[in-house]
Amino acid sequence: MSSSAPAGNETGNQPSAPSPLYIAWRTSAIASAVFCAVVALAMLVRDLTSRKEDPLNSHTLAALKQQLLASPNDESLKQKIRELDLQVRHDYFTVLRFKQTGAWLLVIGTAVFLYSARKAGRLRETPPLPGPAPDPAESHLRAAARARNTAGAAMVLLAIASLGLAIPHRSRVPATEAELERLLAGGAGTETNASEPLPTATEAAATWPRFLGPTGNAFATNVSIPDAIDPTNKVGVCWRTSVEVFGYSSPVVSGGRVFLTSGDETNRYVLCYDGNSGELLWKRLVRDLPGSPQKQPEIPAGTGFAAPSPATDGQRVYAIFGNGDLAAFKFDGTLLWGKNMGVPDNPYGHAQSLLVWRDRLIVPMDQSEAAKNRSKLFMLEGATGKVIWEKTRPVPSSWATPIVIEAGGLTQIITLGGSWVISYNAVDGTELWRAECLSGEIAPSPIFAADLVFAISPNDRIIAIRPDGRGDVTKTHLAWSYDENIPDIPSPVSNGTFVFVVSTPGVVTCLDAKTGAKVWDHDFELEVNATPAIARDRIIIAGKKGRVVILQAGAELKELTQFDLGEEIFASPALVADKIYLRTAAALYCIGEARPNAQSTP
Amino acid sequence: MRGRSFYSLVLSGAAAVWNAVAEQRFPPPEFESGHQLPVTTVPPPRALWQEYADVAVLLVCLGLACYLVYRRRSRRGVWWLSIFSLIYFGFYRKGCICPIGAPQNVALGFFEPAYAVPVVVAVFFIAPLLVALFAGRTFCAAVCPHGALQDLLLIKPVKVPTWLETGLSVIPYIYLGTGVFFAAAGSAFVICRYDPFVPFFRLSGGLTILAVGGGFIFVSMFVGRPYCRFLCPYGALLRLTSLVSKWRVRITPDFCTKCRLCEESCPFGAIRAPVPPPANPMELSPDRRRLGLFLVALPALIAVFALIGNRVAAPAALVHPTVALAERYLDPAKPPPPKVPTPDSLALERADHDPASVLSEAVRIKRRFSRAGWWFGGWVGLVIGVRLISLTARPVRADYEPDRGSCFACGRCFMFCPNERLRLGLISPSELPGAEPSRTDTPLVASVDTGKPKIAL
Repeated sequence: MSSSAPAGNETGNQPSAPSPLYIAWRTSAIASAVFCAVVALAMLVRDLTSRKEDPLNSHTLAALKQQLLASPNDESLKQKIRELDLQVRHDYFTVLRFKQTGAWLLVIGTAVFLYSARKAGRLRETPPLPGPAPDPAESHLRAAARARNTAGAAMVLLAIASLGLAIPHRSRVPATEAELERLLAGGAGTETNASEPLPTATEAAATWPRFLGPTGNAFATNVSIPDAIDPTNKVGVCWRTSVEVFGYSSPVVSGGRVFLTSGDETNRYVLCYDGNSGELLWKRLVRDLPGSPQKQPEIPAGTGFAAPSPATDGQRVYAIFGNGDLAAFKFDGTLLWGKNMGVPDNPYGHAQSLLVWRDRLIVPMDQSEAAKNRSKLFMLEGATGKVIWEKTRPVPSSWATPIVIEAGGLTQIITLGGSWVISYNAVDGTELWRAECLSGEIAPSPIFAADLVFAISPNDRIIAIRPDGRGDVTKTHLAWSYDENIPDIPSPVSNGTFVFVVSTPGVVTCLDAKTGAKVWDHDFELEVNATPAIARDRIIIAGKKGRVVILQAGAELKELTQFDLGEEIFASPALVADKIYLRTAAALYCIGEARPNAQSTP
Repeated sequence: MRGRSFYSLVLSGAAAVWNAVAEQRFPPPEFESGHQLPVTTVPPPRALWQEYADVAVLLVCLGLACYLVYRRRSRRGVWWLSIFSLIYFGFYRKGCICPIGAPQNVALGFFEPAYAVPVVVAVFFIAPLLVALFAGRTFCAAVCPHGALQDLLLIKPVKVPTWLETGLSVIPYIYLGTGVFFAAAGSAFVICRYDPFVPFFRLSGGLTILAVGGGFIFVSMFVGRPYCRFLCPYGALLRLTSLVSKWRVRITPDFCTKCRLCEESCPFGAIRAPVPPPANPMELSPDRRRLGLFLVALPALIAVFALIGNRVAAPAALVHPTVALAERYLDPAKPPPPKVPTPDSLALERADHDPASVLSEAVRIKRRFSRAGWWFGGWVGLVIGVRLISLTARPVRADYEPDRGSCFACGRCFMFCPNERLRLGLISPSELPGAEPSRTDTPLVASVDTGKPKIAL
């Protein structure tokens, strides 16, 4: 078949012998084709042989660099590396230049070949001479039938090839979020999984595993406290035990053990007491962990090194200090792992407590200014301390401890910081929603009750937020707010029906949890730093100077009892097994019905 | 005053253009070292005015191609324009941006809210299609660098049987669906990644793709435009729009004498012989039965392939680097890290720090692939079904004419027509072949035809 129109002066007869011009063009075409083939072959060979000279993948160079790590002062080795590096680069760019030259030679050779071949072809082309005409209809039918068969065959081949690809394929990646959660909970991709089961729900209910209780809302439904408490006459006090070194952190309780942290710029400790007797079971020094600063940071005395409360998952207790040291201990005091999370850049000192979720540890590290993007939220593996995910937060320093809630079909981590309440997906740290409703220095922590998140904007207002939104919910999900006698340090507490806030000067306000309407308020004239706790129907408010007031947690203001410990109280109480564990500046109290084997230490 | 503000405008415009040309994303340090900053991307990013210049060149070339094909009917003009397009869009612009890959950008723009299709890409996608609605595949004739290269390489054309070409004509549509599938799933632009000619425009590429491209080049010497006819995904769209184009290429400028001299003139098998209507309408019964069968089977075909597409989506998702990384991370038999870190080993190390994030993203991507797989499979079933249905139709043609969808408007066939030679004064009227004329209502001088093929069942 001829692809170009015949020349106007040519006859329809093909020349019998090739003309010299045709031979010349044909020779030129063959020569240029051979030239192209030789150049292409040379480039291929050069490419295949030069792969080991890639400076990025030079094994010799990598091996020498490894040697240099072992002996960093070996000058002759350094010189050898430099020379080899230069040689490898020189070879690499030589090959590159070779290939570039070869490419242009190929282009020119191909152009010559095409031109010569076309010229030769034109000299030998024959004009069209149609043969006998076939029956057009029959030809079309035959062609259409074959075309249908071809299309059908292509369809079958495609189906077989696709199924051949799909059927044997087994994906390890889960298909749904629920499967992913199960996979992650089982420790996906890690070498060791949790060797012992975590506490059951019943067991978990008998613990106070983190600051302000299991949910971060200091409300214990199954704890009863004595009606009469008089520490002076040892009524309603099980035991008192001294705590040597001071710390602002609150006690946490699990498995009958009470854990505290204490410390200063010299030493930092994790302490474990027997919950029934008050006996000090063990005391562990937390120092010189990997990454620990050589020089301790200066932290204001009003916060100290042991302000963040520890946390426990029933197998391990975790503690963090104001210099960024983070450690995990087994319940027998064995150190599991420890590391430094970086010295927090916090003007008042780091005070955000730890919290646990399943077998993981959540470490909030809000610090510095928002624009510097240094605030982070970490999710670590409890068993190993490995970072599962970390999220940079657009907030400055804050001192509020996050909470984990189940809402909107997801497990959410609710955080406060700067002007934001931000919710993250606990599985992967994805931000779910945020609300811009805070101001000032955020110290009170959020709580979750009555399907609402309650957050305090210090000295400003308390806000109730519906946690089932997505994106910026500032304008859509704020249920109510209240702005009288709002604290700047204590967090709120709720029994699901009422929300109680205690201002630092001691004004206690009871609000309806659903509507935010004030039910009652009263000024008890006691300075309060500690967040109150609710045991069944009683709210326990610990004043800074040691006076503790217990009220009815209901629609009417009713004071039930008061007592004075005579020691400063900064920490929030822990309520477990009909006991109140209350830390003062110098001691740990266990308040409840006295047991025979309890003891007190001066 | 007016003159002064005019000159200010000109000067400020020139300054803006100058700044645009001089703009560098990562400006060099302020001291002179003589070091030349390497070009890190191929092709390097262009200033905005240069991109608009590319658009202008495209539009001018499209217009010129239409003029050369329909008014001048000049094969030589088309040839020279295709050389220019090969040099400009191929070797100078290095094959990017090109309309062949643009459907992927459009697909990604539809399905990824964070991605906005650049204006230039949108124009490259739409302009040839709009022109095809009026003038057929003139883009393929003289503007596409891929087509121009293959045209140039054609030395000794070998005829591909029409039935084979027609039967395999589903492949470009399936390839188009594949490109859109992967782009919509946000994973890869496979059409661009596996383009066989772009490495030659850039004079560099991986060994595999160069070998494939070399294969296409070799085949192009004997089979006319193999990529265009059997693979080009944009050609699939052009074929569809050309079927309904306002004007179409005619071999003869006047009337067809059925001299058959043009039968073998097209190296791309686009010329269709006249087909008379069936003498006996009963001859159409088998075709009608077959048509009914294919119409009934079409939904089933779509459903079956949709299911297959959904199943194929799982292995297809491995193209996405995050899914591939997640699979490697979860592989219990993953090898130890190499001595010399590779990008893959470094990515795996980063995944160790944040597995939940990687796995969660992989789950999301797989779900997206799964949804896209349904649509892709359904599209494949639809394409095959419609092709089978179209093959039951029996067209009626009075003259030799190019197939609307297959004709690349290259103009090779013009000079084979004696009426064209008559128009150019190369022969006298007495030298016309004595075929029975079948006059149309169109004038004698070369013009465009607005007739449409008739189809009988």
